[in-house]
Amino acid sequence: GPYAQLLLDAMKQSGCTVYNDRHFACEDCDGCVSGGFDSATSQIVLCQNNIHQQSHMNRVVTHELIHAFDHCRAHVDWFSNVKHLACSEIRAANLSGDCSLINEMTRFKFGLKQHHQTCVRDRAIRSILAVRKVSKETAEKAVDGVFDSCFNDHEPFGRVPHSKSDAKYAYRNFQNRDRYYANL
Amino acid sequence: MADRGVWRPPRTCEDYWSEWKHCKGIRNLFHNYYTYGEAPSCGQWKIDYGNCRKWEKSKSPDAKESLCKSERARLLEKQKYDPVWQLRKSPPRDWYLPLGQDKPK
Repeated sequence: GPYAQLLLDAMKQSGCTVYNDRHFACEDCDGCVSGGFDSATSQIVLCQNNIHQQSHMNRVVTHELIHAFDHCRAHVDWFSNVKHLACSEIRAANLSGDCSLINEMTRFKFGLKQHHQTCVRDRAIRSILAVRKVSKETAEKAVDGVFDSCFNDHEPFGRVPHSKSDAKYAYRNFQNRDRYYANL
Repeated sequence: MADRGVWRPPRTCEDYWSEWKHCKGIRNLFHNYYTYGEAPSCGQWKIDYGNCRKWEKSKSPDAKESLCKSERARLLEKQKYDPVWQLRKSPPRDWYLPLGQDKPK
Protein backbone atom coordinates (compact mmCIF):
# COMPACT_ATOMS: atom_id res chain seq x y z
CA GLY A 1 0.00 0.00 0.00
CA PRO A 2 1.03 3.66 -0.23
CA TYR A 3 2.04 3.85 3.46
CA ALA A 4 4.58 1.06 3.18
CA GLN A 5 5.74 2.22 -0.24
CA LEU A 6 6.61 5.67 1.06
CA LEU A 7 8.42 4.25 4.09
CA LEU A 8 10.41 1.81 1.97
CA ASP A 9 11.44 4.56 -0.44
CA ALA A 10 12.38 6.89 2.39
CA MET A 11 14.47 4.19 4.01
CA LYS A 12 16.19 3.41 0.73
CA GLN A 13 17.03 7.08 0.39
CA SER A 14 18.53 7.02 3.90
CA GLY A 15 20.72 4.04 3.00
CA CYS A 16 18.58 1.28 4.48
CA THR A 17 17.16 -0.73 1.62
CA VAL A 18 14.72 -3.28 2.96
CA TYR A 19 15.04 -6.84 1.68
CA ASN A 20 12.10 -9.07 2.54
CA ASP A 21 14.14 -12.17 3.31
CA ARG A 22 16.67 -10.25 5.43
CA HIS A 23 14.53 -7.67 7.20
CA PHE A 24 11.22 -9.47 7.72
CA ALA A 25 10.46 -12.59 9.76
CA CYS A 26 7.17 -14.36 10.40
CA GLU A 27 6.91 -16.05 13.76
CA ASP A 28 4.42 -17.36 16.26
CA CYS A 29 4.26 -14.96 19.19
CA ASP A 30 3.04 -15.05 22.76
CA GLY A 31 -0.08 -13.25 23.85
CA CYS A 32 -1.75 -10.71 21.58
CA VAL A 33 1.36 -9.03 20.20
CA SER A 34 1.06 -8.39 16.46
CA GLY A 35 4.65 -7.63 15.66
CA GLY A 36 7.86 -5.93 16.66
CA PHE A 37 11.07 -4.35 15.47
CA ASP A 38 14.26 -6.01 16.67
CA SER A 39 16.97 -3.35 16.57
CA ALA A 40 19.67 -5.90 17.46
CA THR A 41 19.11 -7.73 14.17
CA SER A 42 17.46 -4.94 12.16
CA GLN A 43 14.45 -7.19 11.61
CA ILE A 44 10.72 -6.66 11.58
CA VAL A 45 8.91 -9.57 13.18
CA LEU A 46 5.33 -10.24 12.12
CA CYS A 47 3.28 -12.46 14.41
CA GLN A 48 1.64 -14.83 11.99
CA ASN A 49 -0.59 -16.36 14.66
CA ASN A 50 -2.05 -12.98 15.68
CA ILE A 51 -2.66 -11.33 12.33
CA HIS A 52 -5.75 -12.58 10.53
CA GLN A 53 -6.77 -9.80 8.16
CA GLN A 54 -4.97 -8.01 5.33
CA SER A 55 -5.90 -4.58 6.72
CA HIS A 56 -4.40 -5.49 10.10
CA MET A 57 -1.29 -6.83 8.37
CA ASN A 58 -0.91 -3.55 6.44
CA ARG A 59 -1.14 -1.58 9.65
CA VAL A 60 1.36 -3.75 11.54
CA VAL A 61 3.85 -3.56 8.67
CA THR A 62 3.48 0.23 8.56
CA HIS A 63 3.83 0.49 12.35
CA GLU A 64 7.01 -1.58 12.43
CA LEU A 65 8.47 0.11 9.36
CA ILE A 66 8.18 3.42 11.21
CA HIS A 67 10.37 1.97 13.98
CA ALA A 68 12.81 0.67 11.37
CA PHE A 69 12.81 4.08 9.68
CA ASP A 70 13.57 5.79 13.00
CA HIS A 71 16.38 3.29 13.65
CA CYS A 72 17.77 4.01 10.21
CA ARG A 73 17.74 7.81 10.38
CA ALA A 74 18.48 8.51 14.04
CA HIS A 75 20.57 7.30 16.94
CA VAL A 76 17.66 5.74 18.79
CA ASP A 77 18.69 4.25 22.10
CA TRP A 78 15.98 1.58 22.19
CA PHE A 79 17.13 -0.14 25.34
CA SER A 80 18.33 2.48 27.80
CA ASN A 81 16.39 5.59 26.91
CA VAL A 82 12.66 5.29 27.53
CA LYS A 83 12.09 8.71 25.96
CA HIS A 84 13.54 7.48 22.67
CA LEU A 85 11.33 4.40 22.75
CA ALA A 86 8.36 6.58 23.66
CA CYS A 87 9.04 8.89 20.74
CA SER A 88 9.08 6.09 18.19
CA GLU A 89 5.93 4.54 19.69
CA ILE A 90 4.12 7.86 19.56
CA ARG A 91 5.10 8.25 15.91
CA ALA A 92 4.11 4.68 15.05
CA ALA A 93 0.69 5.00 16.70
CA ASN A 94 0.19 8.43 15.09
CA LEU A 95 1.20 7.65 11.54
CA SER A 96 0.25 4.01 10.92
CA GLY A 97 -3.53 4.28 11.15
CA ASP A 98 -3.54 2.51 14.54
CA CYS A 99 -5.66 5.35 15.92
CA SER A 100 -8.22 5.84 13.20
CA LEU A 101 -11.74 6.44 14.47
CA ILE A 102 -12.90 3.10 13.07
CA ASN A 103 -10.09 1.17 14.76
CA GLU A 104 -10.83 2.92 18.03
CA MET A 105 -14.51 2.13 17.78
CA THR A 106 -13.73 -1.56 17.29
CA ARG A 107 -11.90 -1.29 20.61
CA PHE A 108 -15.03 0.32 22.10
CA LYS A 109 -13.16 3.58 22.64
CA PHE A 110 -15.46 6.39 21.66
CA GLY A 111 -14.36 9.97 21.35
CA LEU A 112 -14.21 12.60 18.68
CA LYS A 113 -12.61 15.92 19.43
CA GLN A 114 -8.85 15.40 19.48
CA HIS A 115 -9.45 11.77 20.33
CA HIS A 116 -6.63 10.81 17.99
CA GLN A 117 -4.14 12.28 20.45
CA THR A 118 -5.66 10.43 23.40
CA CYS A 119 -5.41 7.20 21.44
CA VAL A 120 -1.80 7.84 20.38
CA ARG A 121 -0.79 8.56 23.97
CA ASP A 122 -2.52 5.49 25.36
CA ARG A 123 -1.21 3.12 22.72
CA ALA A 124 2.33 4.44 23.06
CA ILE A 125 2.21 3.80 26.80
CA ARG A 126 0.84 0.30 26.25
CA SER A 127 3.54 -0.49 23.68
CA ILE A 128 6.29 0.63 26.04
CA LEU A 129 4.89 -1.52 28.84
CA ALA A 130 4.74 -4.49 26.49
CA VAL A 131 8.46 -4.37 25.70
CA ARG A 132 10.15 -2.87 28.73
CA LYS A 133 10.04 -3.68 32.42
CA VAL A 134 9.16 -0.18 33.57
CA SER A 135 6.34 1.13 35.72
CA LYS A 136 3.23 2.62 34.16
CA GLU A 137 4.22 5.92 35.75
CA THR A 138 7.63 5.85 34.06
CA ALA A 139 6.04 5.07 30.71
CA GLU A 140 3.47 7.85 31.11
CA LYS A 141 6.11 10.36 32.14
CA ALA A 142 8.28 9.46 29.16
CA VAL A 143 5.40 9.72 26.69
CA ASP A 144 4.15 13.02 28.10
CA GLY A 145 7.68 14.41 28.18
CA VAL A 146 8.24 13.92 24.46
CA PHE A 147 4.67 14.06 23.17
CA ASP A 148 4.66 17.50 21.58
CA SER A 149 7.90 16.93 19.71
CA CYS A 150 7.14 13.40 18.55
CA PHE A 151 3.44 13.81 17.77
CA ASN A 152 4.41 16.63 15.43
CA ASP A 153 7.26 14.70 13.77
CA HIS A 154 5.52 13.35 10.68
CA GLU A 155 8.57 12.14 8.77
CA PRO A 156 8.62 10.74 6.14
CA PHE A 157 4.93 11.51 5.50
CA GLY A 158 4.95 15.25 6.08
CA ARG A 159 1.42 14.96 7.51
CA VAL A 160 -0.69 12.52 9.52
CA PRO A 161 -2.01 10.13 6.86
CA HIS A 162 -5.56 9.27 7.84
CA SER A 163 -6.36 7.35 4.70
CA LYS A 164 -4.80 5.79 1.64
CA SER A 165 -5.63 9.00 -0.18
CA ASP A 166 -3.65 11.03 2.39
CA ALA A 167 -0.79 8.58 2.04
CA LYS A 168 -0.83 9.02 -1.74
CA TYR A 169 -0.58 12.83 -1.32
CA ALA A 170 2.28 12.29 1.10
CA TYR A 171 4.04 9.98 -1.36
CA ARG A 172 3.69 12.54 -4.13
CA ASN A 173 5.22 15.21 -1.90
CA PHE A 174 8.03 12.84 -0.98
CA GLN A 175 8.83 12.15 -4.63
CA ASN A 176 8.88 15.91 -5.22
CA ARG A 177 11.37 16.63 -2.44
CA ASP A 178 14.35 17.45 -4.60
CA ARG A 179 12.44 20.09 -6.53
CA TYR A 180 10.89 21.38 -3.32
CA TYR A 181 14.14 22.03 -1.47
CA ALA A 182 16.00 23.25 -4.54
CA ASN A 183 13.47 26.04 -5.05
CA LEU A 184 13.00 27.35 -1.55
CA MET B 1 18.26 27.94 -2.90
CA ALA B 2 19.44 27.01 -6.37
CA ASP B 3 20.68 30.08 -8.17
CA ARG B 4 22.01 28.10 -11.05
CA GLY B 5 19.29 26.96 -13.38
CA VAL B 6 15.86 28.46 -13.61
CA TRP B 7 13.76 28.93 -10.48
CA ARG B 8 10.39 27.28 -10.45
CA PRO B 9 7.74 26.99 -7.77
CA PRO B 10 8.58 24.36 -5.12
CA ARG B 11 5.47 22.44 -6.12
CA THR B 12 3.58 22.23 -9.40
CA CYS B 13 0.54 24.50 -9.58
CA GLU B 14 -1.62 21.37 -9.83
CA ASP B 15 -0.20 20.26 -6.47
CA TYR B 16 -1.21 23.54 -4.82
CA TRP B 17 -4.69 23.23 -6.28
CA SER B 18 -5.18 19.63 -5.21
CA GLU B 19 -3.79 20.32 -1.72
CA TRP B 20 -6.34 23.12 -1.42
CA LYS B 21 -9.22 20.94 -2.59
CA HIS B 22 -8.10 18.12 -0.31
CA CYS B 23 -7.78 20.51 2.64
CA LYS B 24 -11.26 21.97 2.16
CA GLY B 25 -12.99 18.61 1.79
CA ILE B 26 -15.32 17.21 4.39
CA ARG B 27 -13.08 14.22 5.11
CA ASN B 28 -10.19 16.49 6.00
CA LEU B 29 -12.49 18.62 8.16
CA PHE B 30 -13.39 15.51 10.10
CA HIS B 31 -9.78 14.24 10.31
CA ASN B 32 -8.50 17.60 11.48
CA TYR B 33 -11.15 17.83 14.17
CA TYR B 34 -10.41 14.27 15.24
CA THR B 35 -6.66 15.01 15.43
CA TYR B 36 -6.43 18.66 16.51
CA GLY B 37 -9.88 19.51 17.80
CA GLU B 38 -10.46 22.25 15.26
CA ALA B 39 -11.21 22.94 11.63
CA PRO B 40 -8.22 23.11 9.27
CA SER B 41 -6.91 26.35 7.83
CA CYS B 42 -6.81 26.01 4.06
CA GLY B 43 -6.67 29.54 2.69
CA GLN B 44 -2.91 29.61 2.24
CA TRP B 45 -3.02 26.81 -0.33
CA LYS B 46 -5.36 28.86 -2.48
CA ILE B 47 -3.12 31.91 -2.17
CA ASP B 48 -0.12 29.80 -3.12
CA TYR B 49 -1.99 28.40 -6.12
CA GLY B 50 -2.77 31.94 -7.26
CA ASN B 51 0.87 32.97 -6.93
CA CYS B 52 2.01 29.85 -8.74
CA ARG B 53 -0.22 30.66 -11.71
CA LYS B 54 0.88 34.30 -11.57
CA TRP B 55 4.50 33.19 -11.77
CA GLU B 56 3.72 30.90 -14.70
CA LYS B 57 1.99 33.72 -16.59
CA SER B 58 4.22 36.69 -15.89
CA LYS B 59 7.27 35.56 -13.88
CA SER B 60 6.21 38.06 -11.22
CA PRO B 61 8.94 38.50 -8.57
CA ASP B 62 6.25 39.26 -5.98
CA ALA B 63 4.57 35.94 -6.67
CA LYS B 64 7.92 34.14 -6.32
CA GLU B 65 8.68 35.93 -3.07
CA SER B 66 5.24 35.17 -1.61
CA LEU B 67 5.47 31.51 -2.57
CA CYS B 68 8.91 31.08 -1.03
CA LYS B 69 7.82 32.87 2.12
CA SER B 70 4.77 30.65 2.43
CA GLU B 71 6.70 27.41 2.00
CA ARG B 72 9.43 28.50 4.42
CA ALA B 73 6.74 29.26 6.99
CA ARG B 74 5.37 25.74 6.49
CA LEU B 75 8.84 24.30 7.08
CA LEU B 76 9.43 26.44 10.16
CA GLU B 77 6.11 25.27 11.58
CA LYS B 78 7.40 21.70 11.37
CA GLN B 79 10.67 22.59 13.05
CA LYS B 80 9.03 24.19 16.07
CA TYR B 81 10.01 21.42 18.47
CA ASP B 82 13.44 20.21 19.54
CA PRO B 83 14.09 16.66 18.33
CA VAL B 84 14.30 13.96 20.95
CA TRP B 85 17.17 12.15 19.27
CA GLN B 86 20.22 12.89 17.18
CA LEU B 87 19.96 12.22 13.47
CA ARG B 88 22.47 9.85 11.94
CA LYS B 89 24.97 10.87 9.29
CA SER B 90 25.06 7.35 7.87
CA PRO B 91 22.84 4.27 8.22
CA PRO B 92 23.38 1.75 11.04
CA ARG B 93 26.47 -0.39 10.50
CA ASP B 94 24.67 -3.67 10.94
CA TRP B 95 21.65 -3.04 8.72
CA TYR B 96 22.95 -5.35 6.00
CA LEU B 97 24.91 -7.79 8.16
CA PRO B 98 23.74 -11.35 7.51
CA LEU B 99 21.68 -12.85 10.32
CA GLY B 100 23.51 -15.17 12.67
CA GLN B 101 26.45 -12.77 13.01
CA ASP B 102 24.33 -10.67 15.39
CA LYS B 103 23.62 -11.29 19.03
CA PRO B 104 20.71 -13.70 19.61
CA LYS B 105 17.37 -12.02 20.38
